Amino acid sequence: MTNPTSGHTVESFNEEMRREHRTVLQMGALVRHQIRNAAKTLRDEDSEAARKVIADDLEVNALDIQVAAHVEAILARRTPVASDLREVLTVAKIATDLERCGDEAGKLAKLTIHFFDSPGIAPNYQLLQEVSKVAGFVELMLQESLDAFDARNIDSACEVIRTAESLDGEFRSALRRLMTFVLEDARTIGQFVDVVLAIRALERIGGHAKNISGYVVYLVTGRDVRHEDLAAIERDLKITDSIS
Amino acid sequence: MIEISPPSKKSEKNFTTRLESVDEFDRVETVGEMFVDRPKVSCLGVSVHYGDKQALFNINLDLGRNEVLALIGPSGCGKTTFLRCINRMNDTIEGCRVDGEIKIEGAEINHSDADVVSLRSKVGMVFQKPNPFPKSIFDNIAYGPRIHGLSGPKNELDDIVEAALKRAGLWEEVSDRLHTPATGLSGGQQQRLCIARAIAVNPEVILMDEPCSALDPIATARIEELIDDLREKFTIAIVTHSMHQAARVSQRTAYFHMGHLVEVGVTDQMFTNPRQRLTEDYITGRFG
Repeated sequence: MTNPTSGHTVESFNEEMRREHRTVLQMGALVRHQIRNAAKTLRDEDSEAARKVIADDLEVNALDIQVAAHVEAILARRTPVASDLREVLTVAKIATDLERCGDEAGKLAKLTIHFFDSPGIAPNYQLLQEVSKVAGFVELMLQESLDAFDARNIDSACEVIRTAESLDGEFRSALRRLMTFVLEDARTIGQFVDVVLAIRALERIGGHAKNISGYVVYLVTGRDVRHEDLAAIERDLKITDSIS
Repeated sequence: MIEISPPSKKSEKNFTTRLESVDEFDRVETVGEMFVDRPKVSCLGVSVHYGDKQALFNINLDLGRNEVLALIGPSGCGKTTFLRCINRMNDTIEGCRVDGEIKIEGAEINHSDADVVSLRSKVGMVFQKPNPFPKSIFDNIAYGPRIHGLSGPKNELDDIVEAALKRAGLWEEVSDRLHTPATGLSGGQQQRLCIARAIAVNPEVILMDEPCSALDPIATARIEELIDDLREKFTIAIVTHSMHQAARVSQRTAYFHMGHLVEVGVTDQMFTNPRQRLTEDYITGRFG
């Protein structure tokens, strides 16, 4: 495909497109940092650091608003078409998904504060280990989806979609492991619920990574695959390949 | 609901081959939906030479019924030359030679027996700059019906003039001054007058060569609205340099480049996901 961030006769248009592309990647790096830090606050029992994670989400929100404003200006002033239009729409959608990932990281940080700032709660560390494990997994998915966006690589994007489809299984097996702790000691039921909600928040981040990968397929091919499973996407891509 | 000619699914000639650069012209043919079912105008293998210089290369393109076809491309790409082939306007240029088949409703327009005057009543044309005759508003519209013998008694001519002006959306603005000079109208009104003049002789096809390039945004919007209304009755081909106008008014778009027809497609698809790299580079402002 034509690279939407270069080649226009009007150089300032190239620069605007590059700027938004960079901003989204910068936002992605920030969100990954937030997820990693939020999981770390649980491991370190550091509610101060958790408060910082929550405060830093404001920076992600600010970038989201900045991208939305710039996208609005590009649509109004440049009226982009074809791959340019897809890039602009993709940037806007990725920014929205990343902002929500930031919110989910904030939920994780709130769990740290809940566990370690409230008197009388002694968290079960085995429960918390599950959270760290899933956090690492979805952070990697998010990174790979953003790399796919940067490289406009649909193979990598499909790989993330494949991983996302297995995430539901991971969530269920984590749930099974957590259940065993509850069955052993019914007093952990409150913590169990908190941890399940935290893992659910992380699972949503995986869902956003899948969305981002779907946008990459749209960006490169023009096909909207958000509501298709991987088998259907790969079948369509094969057909498109054989035509071109 | 207007029924337009859909892109022909039966025709094996609607094929797709990717073209990455101008250098590949020699070995690649047009991509996309050039042919439609039951075309109003059908062009096959049309080439045009101005003396030794070839301006159009083997163009295959249909104009569908009740369809607006936009012709886009950089200056000098041959889109106006192609438009002018359809009502034999190129006949007026010395040294111009048109080869290939151009049929309207199956009848070859370049046939030696074909009547050019009758052809031009069937195929009206609107130009870049409004060109009203230095006559009254009424006489501008009545001129065509008079020379084509379409008008009977005076009140019949009145009806033709009124109907054409109404169809062009100009009646309410000029009905009280029909016998004043047409040159006193604003640019946008003059252009709508020219459209009214073209439709007064009951054409089947209307050719428009950048009809809004000299107009302000409001006058442009009115013409675009008019084009959409006229589609109910006519087949329209419009040459435009405005990508957004092509995207707004047409159902299919044809992209010309250096005398070659590079791609034809349903307009929505052409402006969101064109098949050819060259088309994409042009519509996204990478050259032109």
